[in-house]
Amino acid sequence: MQLLGYIRSTMPTRRIARSVSFSSADLDQALEQELGPNAEASLAKTVDDETFIRRVYLDLTGTLPTPQKIESFLASQNRNKRAALIDELLETEEYARKWARYWTSVIFYDSVANKNRVKPQALEDWLAEQFQKGAPWDYITVMLISATPQRNKAVRNDYGQKLGYNNFVLACENKSTELASQTARIFMGISIKCAECHDHPFDNWKRAQFHELAAFFHPYTYKMPDADDPTVKTVVKPRFLLGEKPHEKMKSDARRVSIAAYLAYNPKNYWFARAYVNRIWSELIGDGFYDVDSLGPDSDVIHKPVVNRIAANFRYKNFDPKWVFRLIMNSKIYQREMRTMSSASELFTAVRPSRLRPDVVADSIEKLAGYDKKLHQEIIQVFDMNPSLPQGSLEGSIQQALLLMNNATLQSRLSQSDLKQQLIKLSSHEELVQKLYLNVLARHANEQEVQRNIEYLKESANREEAIDDLLWVLVNSTEFRTKR
Amino acid sequence: MQADALLHLNLNRHGGISRRNFLQSASLGIAGSALLSQFRLNAAELKKEGRSCILVWLAGAPSQMETWDPKPGTPNGGETKKIATQTPGIEIAHYWPKIAAVMNDIAVIRSMTGKEAAHERGTYHLHTGHRMLGIEKFPHFGSVVAREIGDPQSDIPNFVSIGQTLSSGFLGVQVAPFIIDRPGQLPDNVFNNTPASRQQRRLALLSQQESDFADAGAAALVKEQSKLYQKANLMMLSPRLKAFEFDNEPTAMKEAYGKSQLGQGLLVARRLVEVGVPFVEVRSGGWDMHSNVFKGMERRAPDVDQGLSQLLIDLKQRGLLEKTLVLCMGEFGRTPKINARPPAPGRDHWVKNFNLLMAGAGIKGGQAIGKTDENGQKIVDSLVEVDDLFRSMCHAMKINADLELHTPIGRPVKLVESGTVIKGLFG
Repeated sequence: MQLLGYIRSTMPTRRIARSVSFSSADLDQALEQELGPNAEASLAKTVDDETFIRRVYLDLTGTLPTPQKIESFLASQNRNKRAALIDELLETEEYARKWARYWTSVIFYDSVANKNRVKPQALEDWLAEQFQKGAPWDYITVMLISATPQRNKAVRNDYGQKLGYNNFVLACENKSTELASQTARIFMGISIKCAECHDHPFDNWKRAQFHELAAFFHPYTYKMPDADDPTVKTVVKPRFLLGEKPHEKMKSDARRVSIAAYLAYNPKNYWFARAYVNRIWSELIGDGFYDVDSLGPDSDVIHKPVVNRIAANFRYKNFDPKWVFRLIMNSKIYQREMRTMSSASELFTAVRPSRLRPDVVADSIEKLAGYDKKLHQEIIQVFDMNPSLPQGSLEGSIQQALLLMNNATLQSRLSQSDLKQQLIKLSSHEELVQKLYLNVLARHANEQEVQRNIEYLKESANREEAIDDLLWVLVNSTEFRTKR
Repeated sequence: MQADALLHLNLNRHGGISRRNFLQSASLGIAGSALLSQFRLNAAELKKEGRSCILVWLAGAPSQMETWDPKPGTPNGGETKKIATQTPGIEIAHYWPKIAAVMNDIAVIRSMTGKEAAHERGTYHLHTGHRMLGIEKFPHFGSVVAREIGDPQSDIPNFVSIGQTLSSGFLGVQVAPFIIDRPGQLPDNVFNNTPASRQQRRLALLSQQESDFADAGAAALVKEQSKLYQKANLMMLSPRLKAFEFDNEPTAMKEAYGKSQLGQGLLVARRLVEVGVPFVEVRSGGWDMHSNVFKGMERRAPDVDQGLSQLLIDLKQRGLLEKTLVLCMGEFGRTPKINARPPAPGRDHWVKNFNLLMAGAGIKGGQAIGKTDENGQKIVDSLVEVDDLFRSMCHAMKINADLELHTPIGRPVKLVESGTVIKGLFG
């Protein structure tokens, strides 16, 4: 770690950084230049305050703003209130927790490690602590990659998983090939796993390179199996993707530190900074510059100059994760209305509506219905989604619909909820509808919606049942589980 | 030959063909009219099949020496004895008297060999036919069956699993397994006691709410959502949901399958197949017997012995066996050598040779394919690889094993990469 501290403090970029700045306005300008003059007409409008506050809350905290918070935000005359809200939420515990959950899911979603040898919760807690402290991304990455978990044989099933940062290596079962491909996938955004078996026909990475990278993670001498006859093996010396070789006599744990250093601090390794930027961008905007963990050749990157500039500046800002959020969220791009883009040329002219992650759906429901352990687990399971797939490739399921429509615990809890009790007491139909929308969808109902819902109430023989119905409708609406 | 493969490749089960595929085939220069008549032929053939598959999965990997390939009297044989079966010449381990009694309907494969000796990887390999190597997640074979044979408009899922299993991988949620945990009960959340008229009002209000949201820019999500809600509502009202329950099933039948979770699961599987569900997996756990393998078998085997034998009897009586492929297997085998683990010896992971059962769907019963040497450490006859097994499963299901699937990054992969149909398996 000391060595890394030294490398970090002498990074050439630190000198450059003092004279460089890149603001959200610069970002907008850079993207507009890329989109060309014809894009002007297709740019979506800027969202209103109400849509903005819900979007920012979901993105930064994974929760909905309370009605009080919405009202006070709408009432505020502060011209910088959007930027101020972003700053405020970046300091909350919920921010740290939300993104810790996201990255834990990124690391564990496809892991096949034995459940008794890993502890995703410990990783989540450790990451939350780091995000809360504002730890830089290079530090977090280096800690994860260079971890060397030790097994304690005196205690049953103790593989060092209680230490949060050990869990990346443990999720990879401490296997050289898995560590190589996961490091490239998660921290560089590139897919080299195919190269484990063959040279990729349309890719940069050769089979030998994959195994040289795997050799870095191997405690002793790494042997590459022959492509045709796996029983024939040749010794491969560790070499990083850009050609860096560790000192011959380096021990295995020092070698892991060195790979982390090559990954984060070689200025030619633009993949590292860009992978983080592209992940966060994808989560915030709904589409990435490329699929977040399976970039092939660089020519697949859309609007490359833009993402490269953000990535370069992320490096100048000492890999401060919050800087990326501030940059993107204060831009016009982030604050545009939603639209589903169908072609690459439309990308980033609007924000893509995104499915909420399972923990966010659970939280939205629990805000209304309270916490029930079994229901919570069921929601997490039924709404689970691969955090590394583009929004456009995700799909819902019948089980999700069945759960929201019919789950008995959910229905009875909603029917007995505080919100329901408050709604019953309101004599004005309009107030009732507004309160309902504010609490469930975190926005006011528009005129049509007010009319429609009032009509429903009037046409119903049983008012209490009718209120249950209105709640049911909103909880089952696509909007409820979507970031708009 | 090439044209044949191509036709299978392009047809879905309704004999439909996408325009893109059609143009591709047309560009290969096959005479147009011959092509079309071939399409019609295949379409008709596909529609009448109605094939189904029940996979009985013994999670943890059962020992071949304690199932269908016992070696009593040898140093590796252990406490396991062998018993004669309905088929003269085929002997199996003594834990399985009821299976022995229906052996004429079963083909035993004793010469399976695999490549993965870890549970997750072996399970993946034996469920998908592919090793866990690339970045793609291959689909469960059940998802392939659901896609190729299942009715896309079906009011209940085309793939049901009793117990957690693998996913549909890159084939997507349309053919994902519908998982239930408690056999004999309706799936979670399919029931509500809202009167139909009230439910209709709710749904009408919901659809207005949805169309506003679609207009606001979320059209794609809303469209998918409404499809799922339609399917969910269809399912809630489906008369076929009854297949999940035992309401009209005689007590004698429930008892014949055995009161165990597995036995009841197999009864549900038969009921689902009966109403046209093309793929059902039923899981049994506890087969990872690193220690105490002989006592362990005595404990675990009876449920499967009873349930599986009854399933075969029942399917046959109903005339379903000839169209239903029944598979019983785990992810690999166990070491022929007995270890010295406390409290009592067991067997560890072993992938060089293992065994499994296949029945129905045209498979010739009353035969044992393949042979191991007297210590059970080596295959000496008719080696069967996982690809061969999957080719044979495809053959039984009338699915083209050379079917080309497209991974999310557009890489074309064959449903089964290589191999041949197991020789002599089909009558």
